[in-house]
Amino acid sequence: MNQTELLDQFILEARDCLEQAGQRLLEVEKNPDDKERLNDLFRMVHTLKGNCGLFEFKALETVVHAGEDLLDRVRNGTLGYNDVIADALLEAMDFTAQMVDEIEKTGQIAVEAAPRSQALSSRLRALLEPGATVSTPRAPVSAPAAPLPEAATASPLPSPEPVPPWVDALPPDWRSSPSTAVAWRYSPEPECFFKGEDPWLLARQVPGLLHLKSGTQAPWADLSTLDCYRCNLAFAGISSAPVAYLHEHFRYVPEQVEFFELSNLPDKAAATSMQATVGSPANAAMSSAEVADTATASPDERAQAVRELIFLRTLQIWEDQLIILGRPSPQPGVIQACRLAFKNLLHTLQELELPVSLQAQSSLAAINSVGALVSWAQTHRPSLDHPVASADTVSAAGGGPLTPDNSRRGGGGADDGAGHNKVLKVGQEKIDRLMDLIGEMVVAKNALPYLAQRAESVFQQRELAREIKAQYAVINRIAEDMQHAIMQVRMMPVGTVFQRFGRLVRDISKKLGKDVQLVVEGEDTEADKNVIEALADPLIHILRNSLDHGIELPEVRRAAGKPEQGTIKVVAHQESDRVFIEISDDGAGVNPTRVRDKAVERGLIPADKAATLSDAEAVQLIFLPGFSTAESISDLSGRGVGMDVVRTAVERINGHVDLQSTQGKGTRIRLSLPLSMAVTNVMIIEAGNRRFGVPMDLIVETVRVHADDIHHFKQARTTVLRGRIVPLRALHDLLALDESPLTNEDGEHAVLVVRLGSENVGLLVDHFHGATDIILKPLEGVLSGLTGFAGTALMGDGGVLMILNPKELV
Amino acid sequence: MGIRYLKKHAALEDIVTVEDAETLLDWLKKQKKPAVNLGRCQHLHAAVLQVLLAVRPAIVGDVPDPWLRKALGCPEA
Repeated sequence: MNQTELLDQFILEARDCLEQAGQRLLEVEKNPDDKERLNDLFRMVHTLKGNCGLFEFKALETVVHAGEDLLDRVRNGTLGYNDVIADALLEAMDFTAQMVDEIEKTGQIAVEAAPRSQALSSRLRALLEPGATVSTPRAPVSAPAAPLPEAATASPLPSPEPVPPWVDALPPDWRSSPSTAVAWRYSPEPECFFKGEDPWLLARQVPGLLHLKSGTQAPWADLSTLDCYRCNLAFAGISSAPVAYLHEHFRYVPEQVEFFELSNLPDKAAATSMQATVGSPANAAMSSAEVADTATASPDERAQAVRELIFLRTLQIWEDQLIILGRPSPQPGVIQACRLAFKNLLHTLQELELPVSLQAQSSLAAINSVGALVSWAQTHRPSLDHPVASADTVSAAGGGPLTPDNSRRGGGGADDGAGHNKVLKVGQEKIDRLMDLIGEMVVAKNALPYLAQRAESVFQQRELAREIKAQYAVINRIAEDMQHAIMQVRMMPVGTVFQRFGRLVRDISKKLGKDVQLVVEGEDTEADKNVIEALADPLIHILRNSLDHGIELPEVRRAAGKPEQGTIKVVAHQESDRVFIEISDDGAGVNPTRVRDKAVERGLIPADKAATLSDAEAVQLIFLPGFSTAESISDLSGRGVGMDVVRTAVERINGHVDLQSTQGKGTRIRLSLPLSMAVTNVMIIEAGNRRFGVPMDLIVETVRVHADDIHHFKQARTTVLRGRIVPLRALHDLLALDESPLTNEDGEHAVLVVRLGSENVGLLVDHFHGATDIILKPLEGVLSGLTGFAGTALMGDGGVLMILNPKELV
Repeated sequence: MGIRYLKKHAALEDIVTVEDAETLLDWLKKQKKPAVNLGRCQHLHAAVLQVLLAVRPAIVGDVPDPWLRKALGCPEA
């Protein structure tokens, strides 16, 4: 796995972790005593921190680490979970999410993020010890024990090689510090006192300070000429903190500080790096930088150090496998994955020229159960001092190097494949690409019948035509299966959208001083990814509206005889090929009179029309563009872009919005959405010798109406269908075609009755041409501004079919 | 508190700020046997430390801050 893939994986996992952690945070807030959830939450944050540590995302890791510490305390019960903690953690989470976004975009975190991350983490840490926020200066004895794993390539040392003279000048006894320690030298500029700096304080508070020496930059001047406000001090010291922490500490005077990692001292590199890390495999991950740095100096020792580091890493991964195997009820894939990992680890050990037992290798291949694998791993755990005790121990250096893979190469392909986890994480764009390809495949496939026809009619090859048709049937079946399979892959539970609601409701209700409970049901209901994604914004709009306008303040609710806590319910379920999402609240409901007045006031409908509307119809007015009942514009709603936007967004994905409201009882909004929008069923019609498609779900019926039955009133044409007046519009006029609608021999017009909102409208067309499944491509580029068309589709004969959007057209 | 200038020594107490450096230097220069007491000093500014390092007055009493003690080269308390 190369770096980019690893990074992609990290981003995917980080998002996952964050999403779940956010969910858990809210759950924990509801039940602070739920140990299970707390543990879960802690584990997620821990995973996230671990992942951050893999990369050089200092800003990210600092925050996550602080969050982890805080959670650990909460988990241990030494700290009570409360609102303040929740807020701080949520804020930290938001920051983390931002950082992850940034990493995805640029592959790194901007330097500007560091102060914010520092502020956030110190805020989290402040919560850790409510009493003692000021840290006492560290005594040399109580140096922090275990330095954090630190990768320092992000902040390369100013002088890694050779050993700078100032390091050599350090007291010899300082050299006994752990090899992970960093020597630093700080020479404040002479004018620093006038900048409000206190170099002594800065030097004394270096994190992880082990040794500190103060000296002068130049010999002291004569007392009579001494200027006490020109800084002549110089400090040097040893710190056990990672270089990055030191960089952070000296962030305001970077040009006055030099660092040197003690691990780069020639006499230390090999031996001490070993000392410091052995016995605690967790620390073995110490720093890839160490490896990088060691590579350049005295080759033998460096090589030795590198080998040891690799060995420790190997040991750590070995232990990790044991932990993974130790989890309850591992999947078969896990066993295979672990086995593969062990195999590769053995291989690594061989490359290190460490003794590896042949028996270990051969027995590994045969292991098929968790228990056996665990005991195998325990017996054959690699060790530097005690080579695997076995008769047939082979030193790869001397004897013929083993080719451990040979025995298994044959079946290796299948084995390796199954060795991965059963669940694949794939980027969305890959699935989208697959979907596009399938679309093209369907189009290409549809060309075959035409070919068959040509073979028969043009080349008189009936036999060939029949064979083409037979092949077409096969390809058709496979293509359909493929399409179906990919649709399944694209299905996502609607719960992914619902997840963010908890946070939204919590934050907004707090801001508004309302007490609101969110009930979510049916989050497992699945729908196409695009549908789900398109749904997020409208749903948030609706929820905000419910929170802002729907649910009343607790006092008002009490006065109305309702429980003080309002309830917003989000329910999803599937009915045949549609998904329904219902958002209901038990708030004040929509006031029809007020809606009427507002609509008239804003000039959205004429007053006389408003008066004729029934209450249920009046309520629908809130979907009109520009409608708002809010007296004042809040940051939540009231700008008049609410429900109109919701309806547009939902209708764009072929959905419907339906609103019912009982004043005083609450509001119910029902969204009906297609399961998938990949394939659209359209009816092909013809007008003015051109073919168009009309989405099937809008069509009510197709009828033939005799020209005599069409009533003309000025420009308007109407007809009566089943006792109802249906307005008629000629498609030719709507599209500005020169021809006029044709009639058949009996003098009848072809009328396509479509549903627009709650009304039916008849479209006069020339001919009907039956239905077909197409893959709708939205209009792009210069065409994207074109109204009246939903998009285009490629037909099997290579022609392009324009799909009409009657809602925009009429 | 800052600095109290006594007969035999200057007592540096609590937090000694940058402003105190000059007066301290002037005072130390005037003394025949300059001496300071850092026993109750929590923190002194680098400029003050610089004065102490340049003048090298006698240190009366022990120095509570171990780092400061080392910086001034005092024997271990």
